[in-house]
Amino acid sequence: MTAVTGKQRRSMARALSRAADASVAEVLASARGSMGVCRWIGVTGPPGAGKSSLIAALARHRLGRDGNIAILAVDPTSPVSGGAILGDRIRMEDLAHNPRVYIRSLASRTSHDGLADNLPDILEIVENAGFAEAILETVGVGQVEYAVRHVVDTTLLVLMPGAGDQIQAMKSGILETADIFVVNKADQPGARQLAVVLASVLKLKASDGQGTGDGWLPPIVSTSVQDPASVAALAEAIDRHQAWLAGRQDVGKRLEKRRAQHVESLVVRRVAEVLDQLPVELLHAPLASLYEAVVGRLTESAPSSGVAREPKERTILSR
Amino acid sequence: MTETSEAAVLRGKRILIAKPGLDGHDVGAKVIALALRDAGAEVIYTGLRKTPDYIARIAVDEDVDAVGLSVLSGSHRDLVKQTRASLEAIEAGDIPIFLGGTIPAEDWPDLYALGVQRIYTSEMPLADVIASIAETLK
Ligand code: B12
Ligand SMILES: Nc1nc2c(ncn2[C@@H]2O[C@H](COP(=O)(O)OP(=O)(O)O)[C@@H](O)[C@H]2O)c(=O)[nH]1
Ligand SMILES: [Mg+2]
Repeated sequence: MTAVTGKQRRSMARALSRAADASVAEVLASARGSMGVCRWIGVTGPPGAGKSSLIAALARHRLGRDGNIAILAVDPTSPVSGGAILGDRIRMEDLAHNPRVYIRSLASRTSHDGLADNLPDILEIVENAGFAEAILETVGVGQVEYAVRHVVDTTLLVLMPGAGDQIQAMKSGILETADIFVVNKADQPGARQLAVVLASVLKLKASDGQGTGDGWLPPIVSTSVQDPASVAALAEAIDRHQAWLAGRQDVGKRLEKRRAQHVESLVVRRVAEVLDQLPVELLHAPLASLYEAVVGRLTESAPSSGVAREPKERTILSR
Repeated sequence: MTETSEAAVLRGKRILIAKPGLDGHDVGAKVIALALRDAGAEVIYTGLRKTPDYIARIAVDEDVDAVGLSVLSGSHRDLVKQTRASLEAIEAGDIPIFLGGTIPAEDWPDLYALGVQRIYTSEMPLADVIASIAETLK
């Protein structure tokens, strides 16, 4: 497979902007379909855990095989100005020189789930551009983000020393959050202890018979971005998970979940659009009437006939 | 009931703030990046000491509406010329370039001739810088 070059890069970059800016109506009008076969890896975890650095190290390692790699990194949109500083790619510098890598920074915009508006459409464009593998970095708002699981094949939760309390606190949900647990900054004190805490929590859950319910036992991989062997071990864990996925019968079920997540994100945004256009007086009406008005507007005006918001006009309320 | 923040004049714009060349003065670039963000722009910051080719490549991949160069080394003329050439080499010569830093007034005519859209120095109030960029990108 050849590198993504010249004109192709620019037209893809522009297509991604159009997809990101599309209103709900525009998304519905442009029914595409994915034709690509792309392995999606999602990377989530608290800010500073090393997600961006680790993605760069992983990509570097995985460039050893065939195929191009896309990296999408989401940073938070400021709720006040609607602006954003997109800084993940600073950690991926050397990769940006490689013609087989495409890195794109995304702002979360109206999304609150660690992802970005219209992400499924964005992923589709990447897939259709023929990338073999794509890595998605979530916002990392501090709590664990579940939505990413529905849009990628393999989810990594990246933690760093000091996250022990966090693990204890989220005991109940932890198995559901990731396919692979990564204890990053293994070169720092406290990493081993974190791995031990994590292992004990995972084991407890597994013995409850409450595992992921589908037979995959998430491994714990300790990494340090400076240590290529640890990155190789992580890459291998990803391969194992993807091989395991490929052998499964329920691909259809995963696609159903993905579709459900997609339509949910559109409905949520459509509600925000309707609220934006609501006459202020209605906000003073009794709650039941207000609710009725909103639901009425949702059903009466199919978004394609309704006043689709200017794609770039986002407002305080809608995010 | 739209309460769009009035200050958000750059809503929907993507802007690359880049430090080409060898100077390590990054305060101005960071100040501008934050001001642009507060005006509603999505800002990609490159970090220090980037080559013109690298900057052009990121401008294309990130589909930015403008490239902002911050130069306090005195080599603004060469760096602007090279960045322009790098953009053109990948058919992205249409992306506008803004320039800021220590840029003596006597160099401005040459820089404009090289294709710089607007030039800003520390004498210009931040609010005016933002308003001017918003006006240019409208
Ligand atoms: C602070 C400073 C330093 C700090 C830098 C710390 C840092 N991390 O940035 C330190 C002490 C490290 C330093 C070192 C040096 N410095 Co010094 N430094 C300064 C000083 C005093 C202020 C710069 C500054 O931060 N200003 C505040 C910011 C907010 O202003 P600004 O950068 O101009 O940015 C504003 C505008 O220009 C504009 N802007 C800037 N970029 C952009 C980009 C866009 C897109 C837009 C729209 C606007 C915009 O908006 C900003 C906000 O208003 C200037 C003198 C001066 N008056 O500029 C000298 C100055 C820049 N340094 C100078 C020199 C020579 C050096 C050294 C070489 C000194 C030496 N001999 O060792 C070293 C080299 C360091 C290196 N590696 O490059 C010279 C440069 C001469 C030249 N241009 O030809 C200056 C001009 C001093 C002088 N008069 O001689 N320096
Ligand atoms: N010591 C050490 N530092 C790391 C490691 N990985 C990342 N870092 C540092 O941790 C900080 C945050 O990294 P970053 O990748 O931006 O984290 P993110 O916010 O999760 O994307 C940076 O200063 C990195 O250099 C690691 O394995 N060991
Ligand atoms: Mg990051």
